[in-house]
Amino acid sequence: MMGLTLNVMHMGMLSALVILTLGSIGSFKNSKLGFYGTIIALVIAFSAITITVSAAHFLSYGIFILAIAIINLVSLEAIKSEIKGVDYGLVGLMALATMYIFNTSEFALVLAALVLVSVPTYILVMIREGGANVEVGIKYITFMVLATVLFLIGAIMLVYTKSAFDGSLYVLGYVMLVLGLCLEVGVAPLHEWVPDVFSSADPIPISIIASLAKIVPFIAALWILVYTSSDLTLSITLFTAVIAAISMFVGNIGALTSKELGRVLGYSTVANMGYILSCFVVVAEPKFIYLALTGGLLMLFANAAGKIGFFNAIKGGGAYSPLMYLLAFSFIGVPPLMGFWGKLFILLSLAKMEYFWLVAIVVINSAISIPYYVRLATELGVEWKPNLTNFICLAAVVMVLVTVFLLPVEWFYSTMEVIAQTVGIAI
Amino acid sequence: MIIDDWLVFLLLFLAPVLSSIPIALVYKSDKWTEKLPYLSVFGIFISVLMSLYIFTSFPENQQYAYTWIPDLGINFVLITDYLSCYMGVITAVIAFFIAIYGLDYMKGDYRPSWYWFFFNLFTASMLLVVYSDNLFLLFVGWEGLGAASWGLIGHWFRDDDEIAYVGVPKRKVGPLELSWPPSFGGWRAISTIRFGDVPMFLAIAAIWVLAGNLNISEINWETLFLNIGAAGTIILLVCFLMGLFTKSAQVPFSEWLMTAMTGPTTVSALLHSATMVAAGAFVFIKISWYIKPWELHHVPGLEIVYIIALFIGLISGLYGALAGSGMLERKVLLAASTMSSIGLMFAVGAASFWIHEEIAGINLALLVAFWYMAVHAFAKASLFLVSGHLIHATHSRFSCGGFEFGKRMKIPFIVTIIATTFLVGIPPLTAYWVKSAMDKSMEILWHEHHMLLPIILLILTSLIYSAIMARFLSLNFVRGEKPEHEHLEGGGLMKLGYTMMVSVLFILLYLIFTNAETKGFVDAGYASVSFAVGAGALIAYVIAVYVPRLKVFSRVPGTFFNDRMYLPFLNDYIMPKTGFFISRIVQNYGNRGIDGFFNTRVIPGLFGIISKGIRAIQTGYLKSYVKIVLGLVMVFLIVESLWGLGL
Repeated sequence: MMGLTLNVMHMGMLSALVILTLGSIGSFKNSKLGFYGTIIALVIAFSAITITVSAAHFLSYGIFILAIAIINLVSLEAIKSEIKGVDYGLVGLMALATMYIFNTSEFALVLAALVLVSVPTYILVMIREGGANVEVGIKYITFMVLATVLFLIGAIMLVYTKSAFDGSLYVLGYVMLVLGLCLEVGVAPLHEWVPDVFSSADPIPISIIASLAKIVPFIAALWILVYTSSDLTLSITLFTAVIAAISMFVGNIGALTSKELGRVLGYSTVANMGYILSCFVVVAEPKFIYLALTGGLLMLFANAAGKIGFFNAIKGGGAYSPLMYLLAFSFIGVPPLMGFWGKLFILLSLAKMEYFWLVAIVVINSAISIPYYVRLATELGVEWKPNLTNFICLAAVVMVLVTVFLLPVEWFYSTMEVIAQTVGIAI
Repeated sequence: MIIDDWLVFLLLFLAPVLSSIPIALVYKSDKWTEKLPYLSVFGIFISVLMSLYIFTSFPENQQYAYTWIPDLGINFVLITDYLSCYMGVITAVIAFFIAIYGLDYMKGDYRPSWYWFFFNLFTASMLLVVYSDNLFLLFVGWEGLGAASWGLIGHWFRDDDEIAYVGVPKRKVGPLELSWPPSFGGWRAISTIRFGDVPMFLAIAAIWVLAGNLNISEINWETLFLNIGAAGTIILLVCFLMGLFTKSAQVPFSEWLMTAMTGPTTVSALLHSATMVAAGAFVFIKISWYIKPWELHHVPGLEIVYIIALFIGLISGLYGALAGSGMLERKVLLAASTMSSIGLMFAVGAASFWIHEEIAGINLALLVAFWYMAVHAFAKASLFLVSGHLIHATHSRFSCGGFEFGKRMKIPFIVTIIATTFLVGIPPLTAYWVKSAMDKSMEILWHEHHMLLPIILLILTSLIYSAIMARFLSLNFVRGEKPEHEHLEGGGLMKLGYTMMVSVLFILLYLIFTNAETKGFVDAGYASVSFAVGAGALIAYVIAVYVPRLKVFSRVPGTFFNDRMYLPFLNDYIMPKTGFFISRIVQNYGNRGIDGFFNTRVIPGLFGIISKGIRAIQTGYLKSYVKIVLGLVMVFLIVESLWGLGL
């Protein structure tokens, strides 16, 4: 029976991959083929996973991923790249890996998912209308390679200590993994590439890098850290807490004092990644992981929706003003928008771990961030026009508004509880 | 019981408020605002019925509790003790009579909606104060009184009619103009009251923290006071009393009451008899009723509190009477006399500390204070209503009207004679018996506790008080100047209002002779000292009727008294100047120091430095980024490795 269920999921994933590939090849003839092929592949993978694992568990996570991926795909319409069609396939590949990562208990597959999400962005970042943005690409890839290497070596060292424990090796592995993660997603003080790349690359691919690409690294890192946690974990989490705090301040102050909108969003990413990294302090206490997962993921989704909306607005020369304000308020953390719930659960997980100083820093930083988000909304807000930009922003706003009804939050929350338990059982 | 007790209370409190909401909503329609006052009066009538029903059918000393915020001891706790049963009826009946009078008096006013809404809110708030056992609930009613008094005193907020002013326009003494328009009157009232309400609120909070209970009848006052010691007791009770003294306009917080006369006369009547100023004295009697200070002589500090209350009351009594002796404005003269009366209520209420004598299980001093409040309420309300009618009839707020005028205004003339003689303690009229018991209380203080001053102050006050009441009668109906305008027609409902009001004094006289607990009053009335004081009051009364004004005294001390011994300077000059001084210090040093230094220098400075640092990193060159990142990674790894090795 077990073998059969695995097969359904794997069959689904495999056929999704095949359709992706065929769609990408077909797109040389007609770019529409790539788009529809990707959509079909994602739906097949989503259904296959939903059928295989207990439906409700995956559904709440999967739907958000699917939504983000589809919005990303649609937003690619706004740009005429040289690899039109293939770019859909790349985004589809990232989405498949992001969907898959919660449904495996294989260490190797977790690392594979990370690489699968990371590598397509190397190509995406260079997309530009007419030619390739090589300078940005080199800047980005240099750090991504370093990040992936650090992450993988750190992960392997940690897993090694699982079977033959060595304190100093554990600490080294932990630090390497976290530094790899920081470089990958852009946490200060290893964030140098972020403002430059975010401001000089095309907004559309950046909106993908800032949304879909951020999810897997966090889940992978959390997965590995929980999986390998030891007696030393409780004391080493201070390291992530300090880095997270630095990242919040650097991000928010940087954003507050930057003029260029892309740069502001880059620093905003640095700050947001700081918030999410801060909930890593729970890895020592498996019973609170569901709080961190809920907070971290809701924050990642809120960040994704906001970044997609703002970057598309930059590309389209502004979007409908109320939509921009709603996204800004979500970032600030105004209840009952999604950003509020993300921050709330992050704060709850910090409070449970008695990291009260970090709670204070998160709250102070939320306050610091208010002016620049409002400024973004003011500068990007324009009159209503029925165009692609507004459509995409509307979709993003619907996402952050889902949590206006308490039900989705509770649903998500209980799902994360179950997932945390399964992760705990798997360990 | 025919109806549920909670329904009775609900109707009692809500009927006045709900019945005045329609008129508040249709404030733009002249047609409706002419008719709807009848509905508002009907709402108060329901309260009268309910209060009478409670008085006759509810068991005495029963507590009715409905939970609200039990975790904080804040609940709807109502009590039907002796005080609240009587006071509830007094409040509702007086408000009802005044409301009937108001139907006539307020006809053609420019904002009847405002008036009736606040008038009814005023009544409902006082009823809440009267019946509540819970201090927080009482405070809710208390604040309702404050808000409504502000609304009503400043009712004629346009300040466009000189007849609503207090003081002679443009009369300047030093830097101050001793003349106050209605809007300023309202402000003076609310600002003075707030000054006392804040410490009172803190005291209530402290009582909750220290006693764990807010129900006046349930708090173990003895343990509470013993736990906090002498200093604690004094601070706690003085904070509490601050609310009462300001509300009751005792010295030195009396100024607002004098300029409260800028409101419509109906408001003055209600304010002075059964609500507001009476509320302070009432609450004082009520808490003393449950504190039972005469049993707590071993509690350190309590005696000092009662001495403070005693002398503030006596001094206010004398001050009010003296100030009234120099006044010519009808309502302000009455206001000064009210302050004097309320002072006596405080004084004799405070005397309960030293008086053990009980009649029918009730402390003599508290009973006297309460009965004096009742008699005073009806008499003073009648006088205010009469003076309102006189202001309409003569178009002047200054006393005027000779005997000819009096003969043409028979009913007001007679009502004034009854109200004044029944109030000042002329034997054998109503107040005489109550005043006799008051004399007796102060005599006990003198004989048993060697305090001579209280009885001297009391007798002095009583004599002057009698004289100023007679003066009011004389200046308006007997020996006053001929009025410039006379407008004597109409006013049927006004006459009905004050006639009904004054007739209650006869009922009270009857009650004094028939009630068991007031038997002591009658006994005291036969004592020689009491009789002597009564005779003195009569003589003072007759003389003052005959000679209401002495030319010799009209400048000094007449003007001095009329200017309320320059107490307005405290209110309008010293306090604001002090406030401005403090605010200037805070502005110049506090704000510039904290805000200026911290918020405009330190934090922005730090932001600037950090942000400069953050931006300095972004050179745009991959080369330098790689250096930074690799360097940082190496540093982290080395540090953590060393830390890891150390493990």
